Amino acid sequence: MSMFILNDASGIGSDDLDPLQAFIDLVIIADDDGIGLDDPAGGMQQVTYNKTVNGPPQTRLDAMVNTNFAPDYGGGAQNVDTIIIPGLSGFTLDDGTPFANNGTALPPASSGLPGASLNTTENCLVIYDTQQNVCLARDGTGGDIDLPASNPVILYHEFSHAFRILNNTLLALTAECDPSSPEENAAIIDENDLRTQIANRQGETPELRDPGIHCGSVGCSSSGCCIIATVASKSFSSWQVQQLRLVRDHFVRSTEVGYDFFENFFHDYYSFSPQVCTMMAGNPKISEHFLEGYINPLLDFWKIMIERSSKLLDETKLANLFTTLHPDRKKAKERLAALQRTSAYWAGDISDKSDSVPEELIALLSERAWPSEHIQWALIEPVRLYHDLLTHYLYNEDKASFGRELNRQLEEWAPEIPISEVWASLPADEVSRELKFCHNTLLQSEKNKQRFNQRLLEKFKDITSIQWVLNQQTKTAGGTQ
Amino acid sequence: MTNDNSPNQLKVTLKSMKPTDHEFKLVVRLSNKADRALHYISDVRTAKFNPQTKTLTICLSDEGREIIPGVMSKLPEFRFIDPNSDAEIELKLPSKLVKLSRSAPPGELAFESHDLADAEKVDIEIAWADIPYYKDTRKLKEDGRLPAARWEQNKAKTSKEIPRKKSKKKK
Repeated sequence: MSMFILNDASGIGSDDLDPLQAFIDLVIIADDDGIGLDDPAGGMQQVTYNKTVNGPPQTRLDAMVNTNFAPDYGGGAQNVDTIIIPGLSGFTLDDGTPFANNGTALPPASSGLPGASLNTTENCLVIYDTQQNVCLARDGTGGDIDLPASNPVILYHEFSHAFRILNNTLLALTAECDPSSPEENAAIIDENDLRTQIANRQGETPELRDPGIHCGSVGCSSSGCCIIATVASKSFSSWQVQQLRLVRDHFVRSTEVGYDFFENFFHDYYSFSPQVCTMMAGNPKISEHFLEGYINPLLDFWKIMIERSSKLLDETKLANLFTTLHPDRKKAKERLAALQRTSAYWAGDISDKSDSVPEELIALLSERAWPSEHIQWALIEPVRLYHDLLTHYLYNEDKASFGRELNRQLEEWAPEIPISEVWASLPADEVSRELKFCHNTLLQSEKNKQRFNQRLLEKFKDITSIQWVLNQQTKTAGGTQ
Repeated sequence: MTNDNSPNQLKVTLKSMKPTDHEFKLVVRLSNKADRALHYISDVRTAKFNPQTKTLTICLSDEGREIIPGVMSKLPEFRFIDPNSDAEIELKLPSKLVKLSRSAPPGELAFESHDLADAEKVDIEIAWADIPYYKDTRKLKEDGRLPAARWEQNKAKTSKEIPRKKSKKKK
């Protein structure tokens, strides 16, 4: 018997481990009622498996769980168990490599195999980040890094390495990731077995990883984002989710500064969104509140911003655009009512006092979401502005006045975008390019450009490239007057 | 004419450091004294904490990292800095580092956890070169080094002592 999940360890206790997630991942790999866990003993739980389903992942798992491995690495046969270590926050290997967004299988310390010197035990350690968001090379694309990986897929990839470690048949590892080494090539082929089986179970076309490329990145375009919209709209491919991806990939993330903004935003967003989704899943009322009283207004706001970024819109055109988005006044009034309900909700005006979830949700958002300047600018202020504007639109018949109000509110909001630290790392030509993009898309008016430039100057008083570019712009503007 | 490849052409200083409950943020300032652009690694590749000396060592370099089986290989992020210019980068680490313990009895699975707010000294090393990183397409003999470790020509280093806050005396 040779596979265990670590649930409590000397030096860290149980706080940093996620054994439940590891078991869920095993259940998904097995897709078989025969998988189980023994009671905890010595900080671990032994995995048990009576295989009743046939397939490559089940056969591999059966072998790993039900074989007593005794490989001979040169010093005589030794018993080697597999210990799964799930989700250590801040885990680093002995050489200092951080382990966020990755997984590995470390061979026994005395085995002499690659990675053995980083292991302190005589067992095979399978370590993986259970909150990963990795992106890998999609098969058939020539190397596009846009394929997400789920936790079970990552765990199963590491099982492939572990299996060869346990049998002392590890293949060659090389420094380059493209082409992948023989060992990684074999692990990706195994990984694709599980990807295929999971897709078949769900009646979907398998999305496979390119076995010839082991390179990857953190953050994947088709996973992760818009988790709240996904839960609220009950679909990973709903138009709301697609729209938010469009905003992210073609607007926010298409430049260096935009990319960094998104990284910070992503960091803050994921400090609360998974918990929000858990609460929403158990409380359909919250999903209803979110969809019409928050998600859809947010999307309409960003639709206006995308239009505004691609062409100059005067007050009349802005007002016309808003009108196009709200052709049905009755529905617009229903949305306003939904926005008002959501506002009351945030203010703690909760009608159903028997339900503790709304209070937990508000406490969570107060602690994690509201203090983030990125969340405030991108997700909270837009909905507040939209709420004001919809009220104005519905109860003020004067279109010209509405157009002015819409323009004024956007003008006040846009230049207050959080200024990324990445500006300070850019050489002058990149500062110039990024600034031009900001000016043309987000800021547009001279007043806004000046306000934003002033904020940049104040924040980066001693950064040569920024000072130089802004001085050049001032001189050019002066020269043309 | 200056030698652009001399080790002192890229200066690095630790500008600020801010521990929070969830992460440890540092702002690092780089000054390029050379008359050509210099290219450097801009993300944390290794982080170590020495509990005896309370020293946190952050390396933006792949030198010394082992090649091990894993889910994926990620190249470092590279940036460049104009000639005779300054730049700043922000580095983020988790608020604590957890690693397998080597002080536990042999063979025992144990961990060490180190709170980075306890650091009394921070060492930073940044790998750089006067040419950008590019994939080496030659059929090189495996030498156990990662590609970015082969690319780097020098390391800019800085070390900063962190003054301990005096505990307030109870009245």
